[in-house]
Amino acid sequence: MVKVEELRLHAAKLLEEGKVKGIIGYRRGTAGLYAEPCVIDRPVDAAALIWDPGCVSNLALYLVKDRKAQAASKTPDKRPLAVVAKGCDSRAVAVLLQENYFKRDEVVVLGVSCEGTGVIDQRKLAARLKGRSASKVEFDGADSFRVTIGKTESVVPATEIMADRCLECRAASPALHDTLYGEPVETRAYAQPFAAAKAAEAASEEERWAQWEHHFDRCLRCYACRSVCPMCYCPECVVDSTSIVITPETSAEEKASRVRWCERSAGSGESAMYHLTRAMHLAGRCVDCGECERVCPVNIPLRLLNTKLEMEAFEMFEYQAGDDITQASLLSSFRDEDPNAFVR
Amino acid sequence: MLNPTKAVAALDTDFEPKIVAFLCKWCSSAGSDLAGVSRLQYPANAVPIQVMCSGSVSPMYILSAFKKGADGVLVSGCHPGDCHYMKGNFYARRRLYLVQKLLGFIGLEKERFRMSWVSAAEGVKYAQVVDDFVRDIKVLGPQRRLKARR
Repeated sequence: MVKVEELRLHAAKLLEEGKVKGIIGYRRGTAGLYAEPCVIDRPVDAAALIWDPGCVSNLALYLVKDRKAQAASKTPDKRPLAVVAKGCDSRAVAVLLQENYFKRDEVVVLGVSCEGTGVIDQRKLAARLKGRSASKVEFDGADSFRVTIGKTESVVPATEIMADRCLECRAASPALHDTLYGEPVETRAYAQPFAAAKAAEAASEEERWAQWEHHFDRCLRCYACRSVCPMCYCPECVVDSTSIVITPETSAEEKASRVRWCERSAGSGESAMYHLTRAMHLAGRCVDCGECERVCPVNIPLRLLNTKLEMEAFEMFEYQAGDDITQASLLSSFRDEDPNAFVR
Repeated sequence: MLNPTKAVAALDTDFEPKIVAFLCKWCSSAGSDLAGVSRLQYPANAVPIQVMCSGSVSPMYILSAFKKGADGVLVSGCHPGDCHYMKGNFYARRRLYLVQKLLGFIGLEKERFRMSWVSAAEGVKYAQVVDDFVRDIKVLGPQRRLKARR
């Protein structure tokens, strides 16, 4: 059981001693049972920290945002930043460390265990509540959640409202941490890893294309998936191509011939280009936190593209993102035994 | 008057696929050159693009070629162990394996993306690879799935 009180005390202590400049955590927001990410920089505010199945967002994103803010600042604050991290968040931090995005002593990871379950899926819960709104969701052992609707409290089986990625999660407690709250979870008894990607793969080629064409066609190109992803930290995204400086001397030909990998029109071909490029850029880096899928306004199952590559990396190259901060990344390493049969 | 439906059908029967071939400068490009100077007869559907190494082929090149209407994409480099840059083709093999799996996953016909190892001495093999590729793609017909509509 995670003792949130201990987490609050420790957070307050870190701030009092000046060891960290802030704590990135979850607090009760205005979105009902869903927690809002917050940065706490005063010890008294540490009492607002919470940890429950409504803490869905991946806080590693805010480490990246802080890093960018510090890089742009004239008086950067070099003190480390602490982050409350569940299993997937801690893997994201591990990938960022592996890529030297920041250094190990610049981040303090306050790991929280998912109690053998995970976080809830907003869509699944909304479907189950049929229009009513729940005020609170709490962990209740390894198989269920306690959901409070109005004044009545009911126990709901975890598998019914848990996020898909939590069902498939292989490491529900943070492997990389400075302090760990709750017991580390060794085994998981839910769906098999990569179950969703395997199910999608079982369909025929025509069916798969029909599905994906439908998804790519609906994509608004709002880039919410990119904004929410802690791994999409490039200062300029390859699909934007905004770095061309247009001066009065720039000729029409120069403007016309600049490389545009992806047009801004939201046609299915362009959107396919965007999503496949993103999937490739996340190959071996995606930690399956499921944020892209959660924030998608048109419900594109973006997780599938990333988990498919995660599955290939795991099965063919025995590579798991966020497993080891000293390993060479998936695409910057190779072995002689890599598959060769597909090459003529 | 020309019947538009018949015109389309007629086009499909003598469909000539457009294949974009990314050939590494040190082996495959020289191999294709050898096929040429040896006067081997092979289909002229492959548009060769010389790259410095198969390892320098970004997945975006491949996706972009499909987006612009290529019916097939071939990436060809030196045999494993023969790379001019020692290990570029090993990186390429790992990366393009993932590209191939991803394209298959979203439902692009798997025959449309192909990789081959062709050394500078293998003009015959290059001709064979292109010949096979063109034959397979003629069966599939034009690539419409990833092509951007305008």
